[in-house]
Amino acid sequence: MVILNKKGFKLPRVEREKFILLIRLGLEYNGQDILFSIKNYNNINQLRDTLQDILKSEVSFTQTCIICSTDFGCSTCKYSESCPTKDLPFSCVCNRCLQPKKVTQQQLLF
Amino acid sequence: MKNDLWVEKYRPTTIKDVIGNEEAKTLFVEWLENKRPTKKAVLLYGPPGVGKTTLVNAAANEYKFRIIEMNASDARSEKAVNRIAVPATSFVGLDKFSSEVKGNMLFMDEVDGIAGNEDRGGVSAIIKIVENTRTPVIMAANDPDLEKLRPLKKVCLLIRFQQARIPLIIMALKKICEQEHIKYEFEALEKIALNSRGDVRSAINDLQGLSEEGKTLTVQDTLALSLRNKDISMYDTLKGYFATKSIMEVSNLLNSSNVEYDDLLMAIGDNMPRRYTDPGELAEAYDFLSQADVFRGRVGTENWHLLKYFYNNLAQAAAVNPESYKSFEFISPPIRVITLFWTKSKRTLLDSICVKIGVQCHVSKYEAKMIFVPYLKLMLQQKKKTNTLIEWLKLTPEEVTFLTGLKMF
Amino acid sequence: MAVNEEALMWVEKYRPKILDDVVDQHDIVESLKAFMRNPKIMPHLMLAGIPGTGKTTTALCIAHELFGMQNWRNFTLELNASDERGIDTVRERVKDFSRYSRGAFGDVPFALIILDECDQMTGPAQTALRRIMETSSRTSRFILICNQSSKIIEPIQSRCAIFRFSRLDRTAMIEHLKCIAKKENVNISAEAVERIVDYGEGDLRHAINALQTAAAYKEGGAIDEKVVSQVIGEASPKQVQLMLNKAINGDFMEARRVMYDIIGTYGFTGAEIIRQMQRELFKISYIAPEQKAELSNILGEYDYRLTQGANSDIQLSALLAQFAKIGKTLGESN
Repeated sequence: MVILNKKGFKLPRVEREKFILLIRLGLEYNGQDILFSIKNYNNINQLRDTLQDILKSEVSFTQTCIICSTDFGCSTCKYSESCPTKDLPFSCVCNRCLQPKKVTQQQLLF
Repeated sequence: MKNDLWVEKYRPTTIKDVIGNEEAKTLFVEWLENKRPTKKAVLLYGPPGVGKTTLVNAAANEYKFRIIEMNASDARSEKAVNRIAVPATSFVGLDKFSSEVKGNMLFMDEVDGIAGNEDRGGVSAIIKIVENTRTPVIMAANDPDLEKLRPLKKVCLLIRFQQARIPLIIMALKKICEQEHIKYEFEALEKIALNSRGDVRSAINDLQGLSEEGKTLTVQDTLALSLRNKDISMYDTLKGYFATKSIMEVSNLLNSSNVEYDDLLMAIGDNMPRRYTDPGELAEAYDFLSQADVFRGRVGTENWHLLKYFYNNLAQAAAVNPESYKSFEFISPPIRVITLFWTKSKRTLLDSICVKIGVQCHVSKYEAKMIFVPYLKLMLQQKKKTNTLIEWLKLTPEEVTFLTGLKMF
Repeated sequence: MAVNEEALMWVEKYRPKILDDVVDQHDIVESLKAFMRNPKIMPHLMLAGIPGTGKTTTALCIAHELFGMQNWRNFTLELNASDERGIDTVRERVKDFSRYSRGAFGDVPFALIILDECDQMTGPAQTALRRIMETSSRTSRFILICNQSSKIIEPIQSRCAIFRFSRLDRTAMIEHLKCIAKKENVNISAEAVERIVDYGEGDLRHAINALQTAAAYKEGGAIDEKVVSQVIGEASPKQVQLMLNKAINGDFMEARRVMYDIIGTYGFTGAEIIRQMQRELFKISYIAPEQKAELSNILGEYDYRLTQGANSDIQLSALLAQFAKIGKTLGESN
């Protein structure tokens, strides 16, 4: 399983046709940093299939925590098995923000 | 305040607060701000309760649009569309009454509900409107793959909505609990979120249904959650069972269902009064269920060939009066399970009291219940000289309070 | 009559201590006294009969007379088949007991095991019981108590001397209640005593409990029929009555809700609920005898289906639905 950061990930060199397909499926290529990022999410399933084909491995994309903005993968999430959606949206709440352990300490301070 | 629906009360008013679907939100905002000028209309699609309508309302609020809404309840014939939608899309802004409002925004919810005959010409009328519109046109649908929507999809920017992830739902529930001053066990919110399967609306409704002012929401409270999404195969079997019109159909359905048949019998029994309200029909249906249960008893662990009579009787119970069928919400989990759960502490107390009576008066628990408890309750209610009696029976204060307040069976 | 001054429930306080005081079972008492004179010849005993006729009392009296008031507890094991968790627990307790009380007492060469409500035991459990009786027969005698001896398997019956307790004579019950009232300095009218006895349906414990409750209501004062009626009314199975009334008036949903409330709180089985419905049905005054007979037949039908079926909730719900249907037609014809 490869977890790709949707804001920028590297790919091995691909043929011209594959590259065009990737761009058509919604990827954006930044030649300066040699990074791909996802621009359009409408074809995410096909995009993932193509990437899995290129990388020869299962692919998932990082989630962004809507609270602390960190990027993280789903493998650490205890709900991943019952998660109703396997790809989009790429926004979630990370474990740390969901159940902040410090809350009790803060409450004690009051 | 208790009467307010929390889904309404806590409906986000800004785009930022709409949970999940960040990508869809970005796309929608870009379209609204004319950064994607290729299409004049958008079609938001995805399962119910994931925030399509909410996003549209929030966007209208933020960008100062007035929403002109048409939904499934409005007939969407060509005539109706033209009457409401044409005026709404023909003017840009210039509102005489309020400088606050930028202009109109046409929102057609549940476009997949446009029926073939009833809404004749509706789809082509909508397409014409999209072609000529000077204001944003927004449509929403659950299932975009319908054949009749194909022409619509060509003129729309498609934006896909997904179910909300569980942590996001938990966060939303947490926020509501804090605002409503409801104490909760984290696991209870987890249960509600998991049960909702990504439907934020139903999660919030469940939360409101389960919480009580001044009480902590516990995991145990969530046991009573509706079946809705929990057990799809049971739900589907029940739905099919009550909706089918012929005994043959029911038999086929029951044969193909993989629900355990004791559970099924119980669930059907629980829901039968919701299906038949006429006492005659209800009695007849229950009589078939009773017969089915008798065959179930005879099947035991070896006479499996009798199972067909069990199913046959179940099928007959469903077909008592096919004409009176209307869809209804199912009860779950089984009433017996809920009852025994809620009354467990009562039963345990009564049991311990009866054991104590049994020790002193040489009777079984059952006899203590039948012959002693009713009188003992009355004696203890007199409160005169009861101390020695309580002491003799070795009853705890808790048991005495329970006994004096006990409803006679 | 000997009185147990420590006991605060009159049922216990005035429970006869010796066989001669047992109410209205003279023939049985005379036969049993032969065994008391020569305990060596006493076989296993089975005491059968309807509730509240003195079976447990008789068993306890036997223990008293064999071992004496001081020692009987050391040589007697009291078990209730319906309370014990299965036959294995019974076996363990009998085994433990016979191990510790092996020594005989005086010229009584055995210890006594009183097993109440034997007819509640399943067939396999009874077979196991029979084996237990065999293996411990050198050290123990069993007194088996049941309502119906026919529900006990043949091999056990043939090992026991069976005594059938008849329904208590009404006059004997009245006399007994009057006797208790006198000892407690309770002033009660003759009509009130009769009302109590009639309500008890032959179960003396019911009657004594009702008497004690009435006395608690009217402390020091005279008890008349009015007080007794009040006590009986309040002690009666109100929820069962409510369930019946709701069903007969066509309100199935409410009737079923009450049913679950009763089952939940009291843990009654389906058969126990039907038995109580049967009893309460005949007390309802607003339906005609023919209709009662019809409803009673339905009760009988579902009582039978309960024994055949697997799910008592379905059967009870079906029963209430039938009542609600008939109730509706009754309402329309009135």
